[in-house]
Amino acid sequence: MQDRILIVEDDAETAAAVRAEVEGLGCAADHCATLEAGIAAAVANPYKVIVLDRMLPGGDGVEAMAQMRAGGSGALILILSALGRAANRVEGLEKGADDYLPKPFEPEELRARLRALLRRGTMQVLDNDLLAFGDLEIRLKARTVHVKRAHVAVSPREFELLTYFARNAGQVVTRMQLLENVWNLHFDPGTNVVDVHVGRLRRKLEEAGSTAIQTARGEGYVFAPKVGG
Amino acid sequence: MTLARPMAARATLRLAALMAVAVTVLSLGAMALQYRLVEVRLMAAARAALAADLGGFGALYDQRRIIALRQAIDFRATAATGEEMLLLLDRQGAVLAGTREGWPVGVTARGDGFGVEPAEIVVEGGVRWLTVARELPGGFPLLVARSLRPMDETLAAMRRGMLGLLAALLVAGGGVGWLAARSVMRRIGRVNDLADRVAEGELDARLPGARSDDEFGLLETHVHAMLDRIQNLNRATHRLSDTIAHELRTPLNRMLQKLSRIEGQDDLTAELKAEMRQAIRMFDSLLDISRAEADQGTGGGLVPVDLSAVAAEVWDLYEALAEDKGLVAEARVQPGLRVLGDRTLIAQALANLLDNAIKYCAAGDRLTLVLEETGDRHLMRVQDTGPGLPDEMKGAAFDRFVRAERDRGLPGHGLGLALVRAIAARHGARLVLPEGRGFTLEIHWPRLQQSD
Repeated sequence: MQDRILIVEDDAETAAAVRAEVEGLGCAADHCATLEAGIAAAVANPYKVIVLDRMLPGGDGVEAMAQMRAGGSGALILILSALGRAANRVEGLEKGADDYLPKPFEPEELRARLRALLRRGTMQVLDNDLLAFGDLEIRLKARTVHVKRAHVAVSPREFELLTYFARNAGQVVTRMQLLENVWNLHFDPGTNVVDVHVGRLRRKLEEAGSTAIQTARGEGYVFAPKVGG
Repeated sequence: MTLARPMAARATLRLAALMAVAVTVLSLGAMALQYRLVEVRLMAAARAALAADLGGFGALYDQRRIIALRQAIDFRATAATGEEMLLLLDRQGAVLAGTREGWPVGVTARGDGFGVEPAEIVVEGGVRWLTVARELPGGFPLLVARSLRPMDETLAAMRRGMLGLLAALLVAGGGVGWLAARSVMRRIGRVNDLADRVAEGELDARLPGARSDDEFGLLETHVHAMLDRIQNLNRATHRLSDTIAHELRTPLNRMLQKLSRIEGQDDLTAELKAEMRQAIRMFDSLLDISRAEADQGTGGGLVPVDLSAVAAEVWDLYEALAEDKGLVAEARVQPGLRVLGDRTLIAQALANLLDNAIKYCAAGDRLTLVLEETGDRHLMRVQDTGPGLPDEMKGAAFDRFVRAERDRGLPGHGLGLALVRAIAARHGARLVLPEGRGFTLEIHWPRLQQSD
């Protein structure tokens, strides 16, 4: 069954851009231009994800999240807003948004985040301790990494980085996502500090014989281990 | 504020004492004037009585000399009231007539007429006497005196009355003054309490009840008008930053969407995207600065934050970058230090400082982060051995858009340190720029007051 995504956005051009990404992911998109219509639609239909603007005719999307959820919507909510300062983002997440993407956004960034949310909706809870990707094995409780049965020494932060990659295996992960999810920082530091960390982890894995982390040009990174290879 | 109470109480007491003393001094002056007047009048009356006595005796003496005088004094002595002193002696000093046995010690006869001048005041038996002593022609000493006791008793009674009145005035003046001052101070105290609440961030605090129709009412009205204005400005600042964000980012977003549709010029679009990202960063920093400044001094929005954990996380992020650039990086972070703060802002400030240090330092330089407890503050020090601040911008390093001439080629917008300063001020932290080689910045964070 096709996943449905609701777009609540008053700027027609932005809405069209979001719709293009949604349809590119193989989902059906509905669009509302006001908050009121958005809430009504969210309550009436089983959406997987809602892409919600903030400064809308009718109010602030962040304040409407509670109404949507109280109305029975189980959708994951991605705030897509011009209120993009770190303080705004933290506020949105604290008030219950599942993700927060500031405008202007790059289509690739939106796509990566929508994918992560769609996947989160279907992903079963990982209760097994071992994440295995062919040669690469991650033991969550022991916090160890092995490639071809050989132990790879990683720092605690590199371990967090690797498990985040592993949970989003096969998908593009952006630098902003890494900064938010691995370091819990919601501002743009200006320099690509994250690259240094990914580079180190990648070198360690490559030295052990795994090319699991690859660069997705212009977008971020992708964790694509060759399963069984 | 705990300081305000004893100060107000002291001002009340001072004002009360001042009022009491002022009233008392004024009444004392008036009473002294009256006392003096009474004294002068009573003395004049005593003199007049003595002059009348002397006049009588003079008239008798004119008729029949000593004989008549002696008879008159005898007559008067038999009917003496004790309020007069009369004595007539002969040439050898024997008493011819009088109310007493001998000439009083220390009194010398002066002149021979029956005028009241010169007279003297003689004290005998605890009583003052207005005394006239003469030696009549032929060597007869004559003494005529009147007791000043009635006058002295009147004056003493007056003095006692005045003293009592004075005490009553002091008490009454003090009491009334205290009551008046207390009511004044209580009304000033209301305004002070309001100012305290506003200073603690409660911008919508107002005085309840109606304004009274006097200067205090006017003061309260003025204060309220000022607070309304501050609150409106503050609200406008907050609203404006949201509006600017919306109005600027929406068209930028359209541009970015269109840029993404351009194909075949990846390098150019990547550069344009990077420029846009820089512009947004600059503009976010400006808004962050103005928001931090608007919220300065208010505790609103701040929560207990593990400063050590934030410092360690940000350091972890930047350490790798520093090492890659060949810097010798070292951090000494004392664990468990907490502040009342905003985690994101603190992380932004530290990230700005570390990013700056890494940007300006060359391979081989040292970069150190220290976080430790010093007295009632937490000291965060970021220190490097790089080129440091150029002399010409030492005074203005924390101003917006200030960049050194030599750094024009490096990326940046000159808002990093301004943001650090605004964030420090938002948290009530102090910035110190110690002298020395390289760049060193200390942030003295106020420690979280804990009940444990």
